[in-house]
Amino acid sequence: MTDTLPPQEKVHGLMINSDLSQGPFYIDGMDTTPKLLRLRCQTLGNRTAHREKTFGIWRSHSWNDYFTRAKHLGLGLLSLGLQRGEVVSILSEDSKEWMYTDMGVQCVGGICSGVYTTDSASQLEYLVNNSDSRFLFVENDEQLDKFLQVRDNLPDLAKVIVMDREGLHGFTDPQIIFLDELYDLGAAYDAANPQAFDAGIDATKPEDTAILVYTSGTTGKPKGAMISHGNLMYSVAAGLRDAPTFDTDDQLCFLPLCHILERVFSVNAPIAAGSTTNFAESPETIFDNLQEVSPQTFVAVPRLWEKIYSQVAIRIGDATGVQKWAYAQALKAGGARAACLAEGKPLPFGANLAYRFWDLALLQNLRRMIGMDRLRRGGSGAAPISPELLQWYHAIGVPVLEGYGMTESSGVICINCDDTNKIGTVGRALPGAEIRISDEGEIQYKAGNVFQGYWKNPEKTAETFTEDGWLRTGDVGMLDNQGFLKITGRLKDIIITAGGKNITPAEIENKLKFSPYISDVVVIGDKRKFLTCLVMIDQENVEKFAQDRRVPFSNYASLCAAPEVQDLIRETVEEVNKDFARVEQIKDFRLIDVLLTADDDELTPTMKLKRSFVETKHAELISQMY
Amino acid sequence: MNTQNTKADVVLQIDNLESYYGPIMAIRGVSLKVHEGQIVTVLGANGAGKTTLLKTISGVMDPEKGTVTMEGTDIQSMEPDAIVRRGIVHVPEGREIFPLMTVAENIAMGAYTRKDRSGIAADEEMVYSYFPILKDRRNQRAGTLSGGQQQMLAIGRGLMSHPKLMLLDEPSLGLSPLLTQEIFEIIVRLNKEQKVTMMLVEQNAKVALDAADYGYVMELGRIVMNDSADVLAASKDIQEFYLGVSQDENQRGQRRWKQRKTWR
Repeated sequence: MTDTLPPQEKVHGLMINSDLSQGPFYIDGMDTTPKLLRLRCQTLGNRTAHREKTFGIWRSHSWNDYFTRAKHLGLGLLSLGLQRGEVVSILSEDSKEWMYTDMGVQCVGGICSGVYTTDSASQLEYLVNNSDSRFLFVENDEQLDKFLQVRDNLPDLAKVIVMDREGLHGFTDPQIIFLDELYDLGAAYDAANPQAFDAGIDATKPEDTAILVYTSGTTGKPKGAMISHGNLMYSVAAGLRDAPTFDTDDQLCFLPLCHILERVFSVNAPIAAGSTTNFAESPETIFDNLQEVSPQTFVAVPRLWEKIYSQVAIRIGDATGVQKWAYAQALKAGGARAACLAEGKPLPFGANLAYRFWDLALLQNLRRMIGMDRLRRGGSGAAPISPELLQWYHAIGVPVLEGYGMTESSGVICINCDDTNKIGTVGRALPGAEIRISDEGEIQYKAGNVFQGYWKNPEKTAETFTEDGWLRTGDVGMLDNQGFLKITGRLKDIIITAGGKNITPAEIENKLKFSPYISDVVVIGDKRKFLTCLVMIDQENVEKFAQDRRVPFSNYASLCAAPEVQDLIRETVEEVNKDFARVEQIKDFRLIDVLLTADDDELTPTMKLKRSFVETKHAELISQMY
Repeated sequence: MNTQNTKADVVLQIDNLESYYGPIMAIRGVSLKVHEGQIVTVLGANGAGKTTLLKTISGVMDPEKGTVTMEGTDIQSMEPDAIVRRGIVHVPEGREIFPLMTVAENIAMGAYTRKDRSGIAADEEMVYSYFPILKDRRNQRAGTLSGGQQQMLAIGRGLMSHPKLMLLDEPSLGLSPLLTQEIFEIIVRLNKEQKVTMMLVEQNAKVALDAADYGYVMELGRIVMNDSADVLAASKDIQEFYLGVSQDENQRGQRRWKQRKTWR
C-alpha cells in the first residue's frame, strides 16, 4: 500500500518523518489516525487504553474494547446509511463513548463534529444544520430534550443516537435509537460484511477532512474549521519531539473534547503513543481526579493552573508559622534550582543540597497533594498564563510549559520544552513549521497542520489566509532572535481611542489577570476618550479575602458591591497602571456582579470572557463609566 | 425591594461566621441580618449548615471566626444560658422536649431564667391561649403527646423565656401538611401579636416563604441568594430546586434532569 515512505526517523520510540515540512506525515508508517488506531489495537490488544470512573471505581478498558466499540459504532452508522464525507455531530460530555464515536465515524470515512453540552437548543440547531449532519449523538435525556425542542427544523438529520438510557426507559421514537442498539446493528453488519471496516479504514486519506471544529465565533455565527487526517497526524508527530508521550503514561481528559486542544491531546496523541487516557468524572471533580490519576502528562488552561495554585496558597495562609516558614524556604530553594535550570547553568552544591532537603521534607508532599507527583510535563494553552505562576510551578518541581495554538492550526503552533523553556513566551515553532510577523505585527503561520478552510464558507476561509497562503492567526506578537514567540494581543481587539491612540488591550488585561483576585477582565475604550474595564472577580479568592478581613457579604452580588472589594480591585488596577503610559491607563472599572457560568453567552467553554458579548450585555455598566 | 440594608432596628447581625465540626468546615463565611419584627427564613438542603448556624447563634457551638451581634453586643463567646437571658431562644430540631415531665413542667422549664412569678403565670396563660390543646393536656407526660403537640410544646416552652428573637429549627419536621400549616399560622400570629422576631430554618420552602418577610438560601455553608420572600418565591432556581415547580414541560412530557443553578 504505502510502498514509498518519505525518510523516517525514530523519535521517542515512534517512527516519524525526518523532514516535517512536507506531507504526508507518517507515524509508524500510518498516514491517518484510523490506520494508526488499528495498528495500536492490534499490537497493544488487552492493555489498558482508557479508564472511566463508574460508581466511584476507575474501570479499565482495553485497546481491543476500543477497537470493537469503534468498529460496531462505525459499521452501525454505515448500515443506517452514512456515506463517506458526511458529518456526524456529537453532543456529550467527555466519555469513552465520545472517543468511540469520534474514531468510529472517522474509520468509516465520516467527519466528526463536536457540540458543547452548554450550547442551547437553538445553537444545536444551527450547528447540526450548518454542518449538514446526518446523525447526531446525544449523551442523555437532558441533551436529547434539546434535540426534541428543535427537531422540526432539522430536516436532514437521519437518526439520533442516545448514549445513556437512564431516565428514558420506555421512551420510543422512530428517529431515535440507543447506543447499544447501534452497536448491535454494527455487529450484525460486521458479521455480514467482515471486510467492511478494514476497507473503510484503508480508504481514509491524509487529505480527507477528519473532524469539524466549530470556533466560538465572537462575531457572527460559529464557523466549522475543517481539519484533515494529515493535519492531525502533523500536530501529533511534530509535538512528539518536544512534548513526548510514552505508552506507560497516564493522562487526564477533562476539557471538552469539542475543543481542539483536548481532542489532539486526549484522543490523537494517545493513539500515537499508546498511553492511557483517564476521563475525569466532571469538571467539578477535576482536583480529586488529578490526585487519583496523578498523570505523567497533563494539559490544562491557565484558569485551572491558577485554581490549583490558589488552593495551595489558601491552605498555606491558614498554616502555622513554622509551616509557613518551611514553605517559604522550600520555595526559595526550588526557585533557585529552577532559575539555574532555566539558564542552563549547573546547580551549585549548596543549592542542590538545599533543594534535595526541601524536596524530601515538603515539596514532594505538596506535589502529591495536588496530584502532580508523577508529572513529567504540564502544558498550558488556550489563553495567556502568568509568568509568576509558571515560576511557582517550576519552583515546586512541576514543569508547566506554555504553548500556543488555535483551532485553525489543529491545536498547536508553538510549544516550550523542558530544556529550552522561556517563561513569558509560548516557545518555538514546531519542527517543520514556519512563523512570520506581518507588517501589522500579525503572527502568520505555515505548516502541515494548517486547516483546510471553513465548512461551506469560502469567504471566511479566504479572509483567514494571506494571498501567498499563510494562515493569519489574528494574534499580534513578536519573535525574538532565538525564535521564541511572544504574543501581545488580538489584532481585531486593538482599541483606537478617541484620541487616535492604538492600544492592545490584551497586554493590559493579562497584567490585570495576574492578580489572584481577578479571574478575567475586558478593557473598553474603542472610540472613547479613555480606557475602562469590566472585571470578573475570582470568587474563591475574593471570598477568602473578605473572610480574612471580616468584610460582610451574603451572596456574589453583595461581595462585588463591598467597598473593600472595590478598593482591592482599584488597588490592583492602579498598580498595573504604573506599567503603562498615560493613555493606556485604566481610568475606571466596574465589577460584573453576576456569577457567570459556561451557559452564559459572555463566557467561552473554557471560561474566558468574550469581548463582544460582554460589551453588549453590560452596556449599562459601561455607560456608567463614561 | 431590599429592606435588609438599613442599619436601624437590627436585632441580630452575623458577620463572616465560620464554624467547624473538627476539621470539617460547616459554615464558610456567612453574613446576615435579622430586623426587629421580621420573620427571616434560611432555606437549604441537608448539610447546608442551617442547624449549625442556629447552634452557633444560640451559643451551643462556638464559631472559629466571625461575630454574632445582638442589638449591638457581641454574643458569640457567651454561654447558651447568657444568650437566653439576652432574649434569644432556640427551638431545636426534633423538638427535644423533656418526655418524662408533664406538659406544665416542660413549660415551667422554659422560664428557668426568670424570677418574676406573676409574669411567669401570665405568660403560661398566654402560651395556653395560643395552644389550647396543651392546656387540656397539662398534666400528661410530654412524651405521650403527638408530634404536632410536641412541636407546639417546644415553641410554647421557648416563649416562656420572653424572647426577643426565636430561632426555630425545622418546625415542620415530621408533621402532616395540615399540622405544618397550623404551626406556621401560630408562628405568624406570635410574630404579629407578641412581637417576637423569628429566624426560621426550613426545608419546606413553600410554607417558610409564605410566612417569612425575608429569606436566605444556604448551600454548602455559604449563602448563595438572599432577598425578600416574594422575590425568592418567584426566582427560577428556588422554584425548580425548592418549590418543585417544573419550569417548562418538554416534548417527552417528563423530565429527570435539573437545570444548572445560577442563583440570580
